[in-house]
Amino acid sequence: MTVKDILKITLNLVSIYLIGGFILTMVYAKTSPIMYRNAVLEKETALKNLIPAADKIEKIGDWSIHEKHAEYFVARKGDAIIGYIIQSFGKGYSSYINTLIAVDKDFRVQRISILGHAETPGLGDEIEAEGFKKQFYGKDTEHLKVLKSDTTEYVQAISGATISSRAVAEDAVKNGVDFLITTIREKGAEHGADSSNN
Amino acid sequence: MAQTAATTDYLGLIKNGIFKENTIFKLALSLCPSIAVTNNLRNGVLMGVAVLFVQVMVNITISLMRKFIHARIRLPIFMLVISGWVTVTDMTMAAFAREAYKQMGLYIQLIVAFASILARAEMFASKNKMVPSMFDGIGMGLGFLFSLTIISFFREILGKGSLWGFPVFDAKPLLIMILPAGGFFAVGLLMGLFNWVSTRNGSKSH
Repeated sequence: MTVKDILKITLNLVSIYLIGGFILTMVYAKTSPIMYRNAVLEKETALKNLIPAADKIEKIGDWSIHEKHAEYFVARKGDAIIGYIIQSFGKGYSSYINTLIAVDKDFRVQRISILGHAETPGLGDEIEAEGFKKQFYGKDTEHLKVLKSDTTEYVQAISGATISSRAVAEDAVKNGVDFLITTIREKGAEHGADSSNN
Repeated sequence: MAQTAATTDYLGLIKNGIFKENTIFKLALSLCPSIAVTNNLRNGVLMGVAVLFVQVMVNITISLMRKFIHARIRLPIFMLVISGWVTVTDMTMAAFAREAYKQMGLYIQLIVAFASILARAEMFASKNKMVPSMFDGIGMGLGFLFSLTIISFFREILGKGSLWGFPVFDAKPLLIMILPAGGFFAVGLLMGLFNWVSTRNGSKSH
């Protein structure tokens, strides 16, 4: 290898890194605000859709599950508290399932929404299907159990995706609602007081 | 690969990519994504389009740079070019096709490691001018898109009874088709069919 070779190789690498870095910077500068806006917008609409009756949804705290940071919210109509929303994670087959759960004042599940996951496409991703999510509506924590047989009282597992179904029902939703119950009851003076005044 | 079509016959280059040197059915390269993302039609097609884009851009870039690259470091340079274009695709999809990206983001990043793209850069683009390289990229990319479309068409309709997410009939005739094992069946059977048809056609023309 001559000096000329070394110089050429160096020049090759330097220039490709410079040009490549420049192109990537340009693309990133164009796309990252869109990505950020999409993520924010998605979360806002997800919250609104969970409790459509609410006219104000405010964050009231942070918590963590599976060492992941999550938030919870209170939903009000006028001044009255009509429910809570909590973000939660469930440990699924191949990912942590990012879930939003809306409950009413009595901590019955109203709606759930799956924000993100990387479960098996075609099987585990059926957790996003309306038919599966519908099963949660109106259930209290006692009934957040997954059965493999036909059931309306409990949650019926998706065929071929029992682990993902369990992760949503028994991990994300149940733990989230349990956390809300203990936290809101503890802080009852704080959050409960202003609702009982109305 | 000595019998690759003449480099000025653009239609021939495209046909070559789709039939004679079809990445999946003929060269049996990049079989991993052909199983991993093909359990529904939409993902299969989107993956095909992403690969088509990356393949064309990589071929163009490499053929433009071929005279400046020192032979000793050509492979690392190819990899840099490929990963650069894959990152561009990745970021663009994350911004503009968020729904699909959520499902297949991981596989988009894996395009970096597709043997078919590196192979075309080394075998074709690094030895040919820009325009033929572009058509070679289009041909190979279309071949890949075509294969993934067929595979995912059969897997989704047989495994889920739907197409592009819309239910076609209310049954799941062969659930196994959307499982990983079904991917092997689908790729194997279609590869057999493809080769059977092409051998028959080939022997007729002789």
